[in-house]
Amino acid sequence: MRAYLSYFRLRFITCLQYRAAAWAGIATQLFFGFVYIMVYMAFYESGSAELPMELPQLITYIWLMQSLLSLVSMFYKDEDIFSLVRTGNIAYELARPKNLYFMWYFKIIGDRLAKVLLRFVPFIIFLLILPVPYRISLPASLPHFLIFIATMTAGSLLMTTIITLYPIITMHTLSEKGIVGIIIAFAEILSGIVVPIPFFPKFLQVISKCLPFQYVSDLPFRIYVGNIGINDGLYGLLIQIIWIFIMGTLGYILMHKSLKKVVVQGG
Amino acid sequence: MKVYFKSLGLHLKSLLEYKASFITTFLSQILVFFSYYFTILALFTRFDNIKGFTLYEVLLCFGVIQFGFAFNESFARGIDRFDKLIIHGEFDRILLRPKNIILQAAGYDEDFAKVSRLLQAIIVIVIALVNLDIAWSPLKLITLLLMMVAAVIVFFSIFLLAASYCFITVQGLEVTNVFTDGGKHMAQYPIGIFKKGFVWFFTFIIPYAFVNYYPLLYFIGKINNPIYAFSPLLVFLYLIPCILIFYRGIKKYTGAGS
Repeated sequence: MRAYLSYFRLRFITCLQYRAAAWAGIATQLFFGFVYIMVYMAFYESGSAELPMELPQLITYIWLMQSLLSLVSMFYKDEDIFSLVRTGNIAYELARPKNLYFMWYFKIIGDRLAKVLLRFVPFIIFLLILPVPYRISLPASLPHFLIFIATMTAGSLLMTTIITLYPIITMHTLSEKGIVGIIIAFAEILSGIVVPIPFFPKFLQVISKCLPFQYVSDLPFRIYVGNIGINDGLYGLLIQIIWIFIMGTLGYILMHKSLKKVVVQGG
Repeated sequence: MKVYFKSLGLHLKSLLEYKASFITTFLSQILVFFSYYFTILALFTRFDNIKGFTLYEVLLCFGVIQFGFAFNESFARGIDRFDKLIIHGEFDRILLRPKNIILQAAGYDEDFAKVSRLLQAIIVIVIALVNLDIAWSPLKLITLLLMMVAAVIVFFSIFLLAASYCFITVQGLEVTNVFTDGGKHMAQYPIGIFKKGFVWFFTFIIPYAFVNYYPLLYFIGKINNPIYAFSPLLVFLYLIPCILIFYRGIKKYTGAGS
């Protein structure tokens, strides 16, 4: 366990080196946040009979998304692990007396947490002092906030089990662009990162309910703003745990299957 | 120009060596692009207009700006990733050749998977046009063509500006993403729906509004003053200082080793 944690720490320290990139990231996320909010505002002002979320709830949802995006995003561009597979350096990884699945798992989650923790605090402070229609609201209630923390933690673990699948699939396809790219695009849409789930057409809401993606970020965010109640939130937490177990086992088995017949590329 | 097309062809050939990979990458690009207009489609199932603009008017706006961006991503990738050219010392090689520098840099790297976005943008434009009730006239056709060319030029100008900046900093600047990716994202919608400060910035500092807002107003018949039809021409003027700045940057360029 200590070895895995030190992986986590290493990635964390590496990311802390890139402070300039963090500031640029904050600027970009702020800009996108404002654009999204203004688009929704314009839609809301144009009127509609049934609104799945109130505007202040939606604005807070968008800011939560922007401030935690580098944690919950389904995109995974980190070249490190992919190039291990492509260049054959995976051989070195296999020589280590540790489980490859957990090594990758902790690398990924360490990376994500480092990126978010760097940006989160200044970002949230800024959001709290914005003028009123744009300001982020406080959680709906204390119980809501506690369940938000629990589901957010479970969501991050679930996210990592999904992301870890990408390089594992790459072991078969050798290129991270094709099949993995298709999975990433689907995951991104169905996780509610593009549009919050309540705005989906009905049939898509049903589909995404049967898949793990909406439990990564949409569930905790909607609990925070009070769009999902306490009981439904606890029920969601249970589903999250089941999905972590399923996706984790799937990744673990797939990896060990492909390791049995691994062909190391290059020399 | 002939050299540019030759380098295009060579890139395509090298890609087609890996057919399956090319096809799946192409497919995944289609999906990624779909996620862009998924927002618009999903929201228009709830709302029937955004500040008076209908679904197909917004889709036309979206299609034009995405066309411009995808065109640059497909055919001028080298400018978009200019910092890589400088860091790897490739730019020194380009300078040695007696051909147009900007074209060489543009053709240095092509991304044909992005052509799928270009095709999709065109399809979106066509779908929007079929469903819009437009009183066609020669001037309207010219407006549409001007809009599409201006969309290509506005991104090319910004990429050139960002590239000139690389001469000073070597490392590419992430903040420029706000103006390219962020600007593209905003200009998917008619710019008039945004708040005043935004509209002002993206009219006078970076002229997105002249690409697909003011001409769009004329095109869909919200405004009948034909001057609006020619507003994309201002974007063409915008390109001139960008090219001049780029060449000034080259004069200052000292190389980055290797």
